Formats: sequence, C-alpha cells, structure tokens
Amino acid sequence: MPLKWVFYWKPNPGTTVNSQILAEVSQCAEAINGIKDGRWKVNLTYYKPIFRDQAAVSEIPRDFIGMSLPERPNKFYFTLKNHRIVVEADLSIQNIMEKLQSYRSRVTLVFEGVQYKLGDFQLRVGKVVPSHQETLRGIVMEVEYLPISSMEKSRQIMDDFTGIWQETLAKRSLPGQFVCTEPNFSEFGLADNYTPQHTAVQYATVMADLIASAQSVTSVRN
Amino acid sequence: MECIVQGIIETQHVEALGILLQGLCGVQKEQLRIHELCLKSVPNLGSVSSEVKILCDLVPPETTWTVRHVGGSMRGAGADQISVLVRTMVESKASKNVLRFFYALGYKLDHELLRVGFAFHFHRGAQISVTVSSINKMLKLHATDDAVPVTPGMQLVEVTAPATSENYTEVVAAMSSFCEHLAPLLHLSKPGISTGVVPTAAAAAASLMSDGGGTTL
Repeated sequence: MPLKWVFYWKPNPGTTVNSQILAEVSQCAEAINGIKDGRWKVNLTYYKPIFRDQAAVSEIPRDFIGMSLPERPNKFYFTLKNHRIVVEADLSIQNIMEKLQSYRSRVTLVFEGVQYKLGDFQLRVGKVVPSHQETLRGIVMEVEYLPISSMEKSRQIMDDFTGIWQETLAKRSLPGQFVCTEPNFSEFGLADNYTPQHTAVQYATVMADLIASAQSVTSVRN
Repeated sequence: MECIVQGIIETQHVEALGILLQGLCGVQKEQLRIHELCLKSVPNLGSVSSEVKILCDLVPPETTWTVRHVGGSMRGAGADQISVLVRTMVESKASKNVLRFFYALGYKLDHELLRVGFAFHFHRGAQISVTVSSINKMLKLHATDDAVPVTPGMQLVEVTAPATSENYTEVVAAMSSFCEHLAPLLHLSKPGISTGVVPTAAAAAASLMSDGGGTTL
C-alpha cells in the first residue's frame, strides 16, 4: 500500500491555530497545481478506564486510542503508546469494548479535510475538531506517496517533496510550521513495508504532539 | 447474538458422527485446532468484572486471532420454552498482538484450553456451524503441543448459528430441525444442562459405519 507521513501544525510561540491558516494552506496546495480529489476523514477516540471505587489501579493505562482510517474502512485500530502496541481488529471490536464496560470512550476527535492530487503524491489537509463541535483544535496534513510501500526507499523522495512544499508555505509567512515526528515503528513491531498500523501509530504520535503543543501554549499564557 | 446447543459423544462414535454430518451438510469438514485463552479483568477495573476470550486458530497455513465476548442469555418464559440457548455474542478478528493488548489493559489469564477436532459450516435455513472437539488442558503455560484431554474418551459437540433479535425464532427452528437428525447419536441441549450420552449411540454408529453414511436421512 502507499505510504504516508502525517504532520501537525505547530504554531509559533505566542500564537494559536486558526481557520485562516487552514485556508491559506489549502490555497497553497492549489497554487502548486494540487487538484482537489475529494474529502477524507479519520475518527479518533480516547478510551479511559472505569474503576469500581475511587482508587485507581496503578498498572492500568490512563488512556488509549481507538481509530478508524479511510484506507481500511472495515477495520479499527487501537494504539497503546506507552506499551508500544498497535492492534488491528474488525469494527465489531468497538462493540466488544462497550460490552466489557472496563473502558469508556470519552473524547472523539475528527480529522477531516480536502484531498489534493499532485502527480504521484496525495496531499491531505484538514482540521482537528471534537466530534459534534466546530472548535478548531489543530491542523493536520498527510503526504502520501503512491508508488512505493518501503519507508526507507521512499525517504529521499518524501524529504524532497515535503521540502519543496514547506518552502512554498514559508513564502506566506504563516505563524508556524508543519512538523512530523517520525515514530520508531520497529518498537511497535512494524516493518519497513507500510501498513495501516503505521498510520495509526503516526496519528497517536500527532495527538501526543498536539496535546504537548497546546499545553505549552497554555503555560506561555500563564 | 448466537443460538447454541451442546452435547457429548463418546470418542469411539465420533467417526460415525463425522460420516452422518458429511451426508447431512454436503460440505467438506474442516480441521479444528483452537487455543482458547479466557481472560478476566483485574479487581476494581470496570463497572463490573468482565471476561473476554482470545481464540487462536492454529490450523495451518496461518494462525489467526479472534476476540470473542459472550454475554447474557435470553431469559423469560419465551426463552424457557425453546430448546436452544439464545445469547449475545460478539466476535472480532484481530492482529496477533491482541493478547498482549488485553494484558496491558488489565486483563489476566484465567484459564486456557485447546480444542481439537473438526467442524462443518453450511447453510440450512440458517448459517449453521457444527464443531466436534476434544477439550484439552495444558500442563504448562501455553504448551499446546503437550495438551492432555480433560475428559478422555468423550468429545464435545456444539451447534451454533448467528442470529439477530429479529430472526432468532427462525434460526432456532432451523437449528432444532437440524439437530433432530443427530438424535440417534447424541442429544443436544442448552449449555449447562447436561443430558449425557444417548443409549442408541452404539447401534446408530454401527449402522452408519457399515453403510458408510450413504443412507439419505
């Protein structure tokens, strides 16, 4: 399957993310001849443990993430970042989790936006919003390269493409930049050949970065 | 949801049962070798204590993993009147690290067993599955190669079919009708209500073995 890198928008210190940035990024994609090619959407849910009495059980994870990805609409993915676990299951696993009543789905975030086609690349730019709300919590971008599945073999061309794209964006002097923290996929038992599990791990990493970024903005304000 | 009945049969009659099922179902039997791990939530996790089964299908070429949750069975006067148990059951295929995932979530291994036998999957008014298997326990953790039978000389027969709250009466009828054909060899009843082996089993098995299952029922 094609591989992708997932980026999040890191605002400059003292600034916050806003929909104007998203609009400008989209304009930029069109300016470099990106052809609109439909919409995309990722749903990501935080599961939190339920305890029968107040005392939390120490070895239980504070939360984990469940998500559905457009590249495998009939599958569901769980990531447990601290344990370096990513699991692929059927959609019915959500029903099982509900019946077990040991974890509750708390917050669902929706990543959605427009997909652009640029030759062998696909660029997806979208907003991060809590489900049923319009409050913008972040901006994400996926860069997908269609012909190759090997992470290593595609590294050079992905670097080149994202370099050109970042330069194009830089000309607009936007208050921040797209950042991609590459997870250590091998720690999750994932090989060089790209799979949807790689995408799930990247989204879990992006979420951790988005939360850290939001917390640093809050601490700057305070 | 699923509909289920169970019964037991002496191992010496299993071959005859296989011949009978082959004739009834018209499909090839499939080999069955499933490592079943039953997990329970640690104390205090969850609004109630919970159980989940992780099934590892060991039949080559590739081991596959399934998560199964069996919920409460249907109750009430209507449920008492039918000879089949109707219960909630949800399954999901999963990647091979799913056991590690549940351990990390706070589930512990309660017990494990190995089912070895054969299965038939076919459509006859409902999507029916019949499994005939010996239940084995492991003397060492996960040592499936050294498993020993829990009830030597006796095997478990399960007939199941998926159902929904809309169609379960038809599924129950289809299953009951099918189970009647097995009556000479074994009696099937709701899980937990053991009815033992049937006295006609030896004679029925002898008859089946002598004509090779060619008799149309």
